Amino acid sequence: MKKLFKYIFPYKYATIMALSLTGFELVVELIQPVLMAKIIDEGITNGDMFPVYLWGGILLLLSFIAFVAGIVNSFYSSHVGQGVGYDLRRDLFDKIQQFAFKDFQEIPTSSLITRLTNDVTQIQNFLFMSLRIALRAPLFILGGMIMAFTVNVKLATILLISVPLLMVIVLTLIRKGVTLFQLVQKKLDRVNSIIQENLVGIRLIKAFTRGTHEQGRFEKVNKLLREDNKKALQIMEMTMPILMFGMNVAMVIILWFGSLQLDIGGAQAGEIVAVLNYGTKIMFAFTVFSFVMMNYSRAQASSGRLVEILEQETDAEQLRTPSKGKKIGGRVEFHHVSFHYPQALKRTLDDISFTAEVGQSIGILGETGSGKTSLFQLIPRLFEATEGHITIDDEDITKYEKEELRKQIGMVPQEAHLFTGTVKENIGWGKENATFDEIIEAAKKAEIHEFIMTLPHQYETMVGQRGVNLSGGQKQRLSIARAIVRQPRILLLDDSTSALDAKTEANILTSIKDQACTTFIIAQKISSVLKADQILLLEEGRLVAKGTHEQLLKESDSYRRIYKSQMQKEMEQLA
Amino acid sequence: MHKSETKPKAKNMKGTLLRVLGYANKEKALLSWVLFMVIASSVFSLIGPYLLGVAVDDVIAGTNKERFLLLLFGIIIVFLLQSAALFFQNNWMIGIAQEIVFRMRNQLFKKLHMLPISFFQKRQHGELMSRLTNDMENVSRTLNSAIIQVVTSTLTIVGTVAMMLWLSPLLTVLTLTIVPVMFAGLKWITNRTGKFFKEQQKTLGDMNGFIEETLSGQKIVKMYSQERKVIEQFAEKNGALKESNYWAQTYSGFIPKLMNMLNNVSFAIIVGIGGILEIKGSVSIGVIVTFTTYSRQFTRPLNDLANQFNMILSAVAGAERVFQIVDEKEEQEDEGKAVSIDRLHGEIVFDQVGFSYDEGLATLRGVSFQARAGETVALVGPTGAGKTTVISLLARFYDSNQGTIWIDGRDSKEITRDSLRKQIGFVLQDSILFESTVRENIRFGRLAATDEEVIQAAKEANAHDFIMKLPNGYDTVLNGDGAGISHGQRQLLSIARALLADPALLILDEATSSIDTITEMKIIEALEGLMKGRTTFVIAHRLNTIQNADLIVVLKGGQVIEKGSNKELLKQNGFYADLVRTQQQKAIM
Repeated sequence: MKKLFKYIFPYKYATIMALSLTGFELVVELIQPVLMAKIIDEGITNGDMFPVYLWGGILLLLSFIAFVAGIVNSFYSSHVGQGVGYDLRRDLFDKIQQFAFKDFQEIPTSSLITRLTNDVTQIQNFLFMSLRIALRAPLFILGGMIMAFTVNVKLATILLISVPLLMVIVLTLIRKGVTLFQLVQKKLDRVNSIIQENLVGIRLIKAFTRGTHEQGRFEKVNKLLREDNKKALQIMEMTMPILMFGMNVAMVIILWFGSLQLDIGGAQAGEIVAVLNYGTKIMFAFTVFSFVMMNYSRAQASSGRLVEILEQETDAEQLRTPSKGKKIGGRVEFHHVSFHYPQALKRTLDDISFTAEVGQSIGILGETGSGKTSLFQLIPRLFEATEGHITIDDEDITKYEKEELRKQIGMVPQEAHLFTGTVKENIGWGKENATFDEIIEAAKKAEIHEFIMTLPHQYETMVGQRGVNLSGGQKQRLSIARAIVRQPRILLLDDSTSALDAKTEANILTSIKDQACTTFIIAQKISSVLKADQILLLEEGRLVAKGTHEQLLKESDSYRRIYKSQMQKEMEQLA
Repeated sequence: MHKSETKPKAKNMKGTLLRVLGYANKEKALLSWVLFMVIASSVFSLIGPYLLGVAVDDVIAGTNKERFLLLLFGIIIVFLLQSAALFFQNNWMIGIAQEIVFRMRNQLFKKLHMLPISFFQKRQHGELMSRLTNDMENVSRTLNSAIIQVVTSTLTIVGTVAMMLWLSPLLTVLTLTIVPVMFAGLKWITNRTGKFFKEQQKTLGDMNGFIEETLSGQKIVKMYSQERKVIEQFAEKNGALKESNYWAQTYSGFIPKLMNMLNNVSFAIIVGIGGILEIKGSVSIGVIVTFTTYSRQFTRPLNDLANQFNMILSAVAGAERVFQIVDEKEEQEDEGKAVSIDRLHGEIVFDQVGFSYDEGLATLRGVSFQARAGETVALVGPTGAGKTTVISLLARFYDSNQGTIWIDGRDSKEITRDSLRKQIGFVLQDSILFESTVRENIRFGRLAATDEEVIQAAKEANAHDFIMKLPNGYDTVLNGDGAGISHGQRQLLSIARALLADPALLILDEATSSIDTITEMKIIEALEGLMKGRTTFVIAHRLNTIQNADLIVVLKGGQVIEKGSNKELLKQNGFYADLVRTQQQKAIM
């Protein structure tokens, strides 16, 4: 919680305003009984209406001012509460955007979502409440104790013993509550994650008629959430009965002790009554306090989860000599590059070396799981090589600023992810301020323009999770257009034409060739990389052959085997 | 949708609340115990201080010590009972509340599985997730305390008003004059909070949707260095949420202030008019003084009640969003005469089938073809030709708008969805994996399968070797997004899953697109064994994988333009022959 304290700082004036207004309301509230007493004592009892009108008028005036103060306070308090909430969400999201991929493996998406919404809400609620009522409780408790002491020290000592004792009990419960609420939030993560999974896989679940199975899975987690919630809330709700009982017993003791003192002259009857009155006030303050504390423990549990994100160490940008704004040519060189994923047992890539000249096209072939995609991810520095180094235009890639580097790379991943938005926006993603003409141009090159024109609103048609139904191939082509529009110096196509028919694929590959950028193509079919200047053949993370199609046919057994397997089939078909 | 909701709000609210409470049907007995405890604790909270007062009088009067100690002992007992009643009412209420929340969540989740695929097409995952978490959280928060508070406050109010009436009906009426003003004020406030609570839950859902979508596409965001852009977009959603939150909270904050002021006004009225009456001699001073105390006692629970009402509004805003989904139209009920089938033979006939996802835009038109049991049908055509749609219709993810699909001579609409799908093994375009072990992911195909059968299926799909290389073999836990294994490997797992299901009908939608050709050949060999005796539908772009199909259906623009065997179609020298040639050429060049 302390670590989130700095978030109040930008709102210090509003906070001070809110607290002072609360203070002012408190003062008016304390004056009210005095005024009422005056009205009754001076006015009603004496049968004199003038004091009734006078003090009554003042009372009304004051309460109206307090009302206005209260209204203004509402604005300030929610300004602080919502402002802090906004800033927290902003910083969290900013931070998450800086996450490296491995961080996502540590905190899964579903949990990040819970934290950004639910956890922040907990903190907001607590803050709003603190500004408006939390201050009262401790002030009342403290004030009540001091007043009791001025009345009778001996009797007040009983309060002095019992109040801290009860505080300790409350604090113990709160500490327990914090741990329990943390468990609740974790269960909420699980619930979130199952829902997300089910939404993503809804077709599959329907196809395999596994609805009931998934419901069972969900029910289990839901049950755990229910139990943890119960446990946490029930513990926290214990504070109130305990506090009330404790204070009530303390008052009985005061009365008993008071009666003894009365006998020996250590206290007067009026003093006993007064101390008892303060005891009652303290007790009411305590009940408010326990309510605030419940919210505190929730907020405390959530704040830990937020701090975890905010303090996550993200990849420090290794900027030695940042070559800002430098246009890259596109010569890519791998020097004995090896790579393994964090926590992985073995190397995914093992001692890879090759050179891709500017404008060349490089085909990458290899069995499923041989490391093709991993190799791709090293180029835009989504992951860093664990050994060896990669250079672009003869300069180590770690010397490029990531953003600058990525700006000049167009990558089309295996799975075409589209965002909710129009077709135009989705293609325009590739390049900031891309003109509509550029977007259309890219769509044409990706062979998707004609299809777009058949859509109900053409380029303004919504796609993504809330958009129209697109086939796998259509998504792939949109995602290729997104890469082309940025006019990259290096283009990475990760098996991105798998859902396309041969004709479309051929057309796209030809228009890419015109882009004159260095192109890397991962493919399954030799036909897709036949014209490549260089073909790299990967096997279990090692580069087993490189060269042109003709060279490889001559030199590599593995390559010949693949080629034969594919050709044979093609030929059979024609026969 | 939003505008029309404002009018019948009061009615909706009551209905929604009753509906939420309806989930506690089984807990009715416990709920009445809670109410009993609330009454008990209220009574004890009156008796305790009263006895304490008596004891104080005793001390002052200095009467008999024994009676005094006995009294003190009695007081402690009463307080103990009060705390016990408090404890039980809270404890049980939380149990009931969480039970309600549990059931609502379960029902909502169950509902998701009964909705048609088309429902999911226009919605963001994160937005739906928000209904199950954030909206339910609102309900939960309110249920935990609201019922108890409402009952306690109502009891206090009724008691106080009764006492007031007994003392002086006239002054009571005077005190109650503020009630209409109060209601008017409350109505003014809650009309606004109600609206903003709804707005708040909606924007929260929106934001949740945005976060989910962005984070699941994080790779693209990074790759295209669009962090700044998404941060900007997020700021917009964040701002909208702040705005509605801000007003909801600000207006909520007005309630206690208003009540406090009215409380003082009522005091002023009582003493002002009471004073005049006293001078006239119609009420005594004592009554006025007692009355002022009661009027304070009367407004305090009213204040609580007003706050609770506000909390309830926020719960209703959440509950309504939950019920909105619960009330969605389900995947059409299987028709009354629909029968459940045991084992499919596998004869499929498409008879002039037409379908469109959105009105106006026809995806399929007049599609007709026939597959005998055990045959392999290949669907070929450019992207967007409607190949996947044909399969979706076959599995009844959607129902055709025109024409009929006959399965074993029966209209597919007359077969229950579940029994039909149980007969079909799917390998879909996107290989979806669940956050679970490799073993469980394969077993998804047939839950009752033994470990040996799972391994057997993995071997047939050529997945066994790579699985054994994973850190924990079959017990390796896969991330939801399949991180750690490649796309092709995910396809292998999907195939193993379908193999395990041992279906009568097999559907392979681009099942091997991301698998290298050598592995693919091995799989096809395995699949060929599997395809024997089963009707199989194959969608593939690599035409060599489908040349042995019994029937090739060529689709273009949602229509069948050619159909026949590989040989026949080559002879026809049409679109298909053209496609094959393009691939050939590329291969030969």
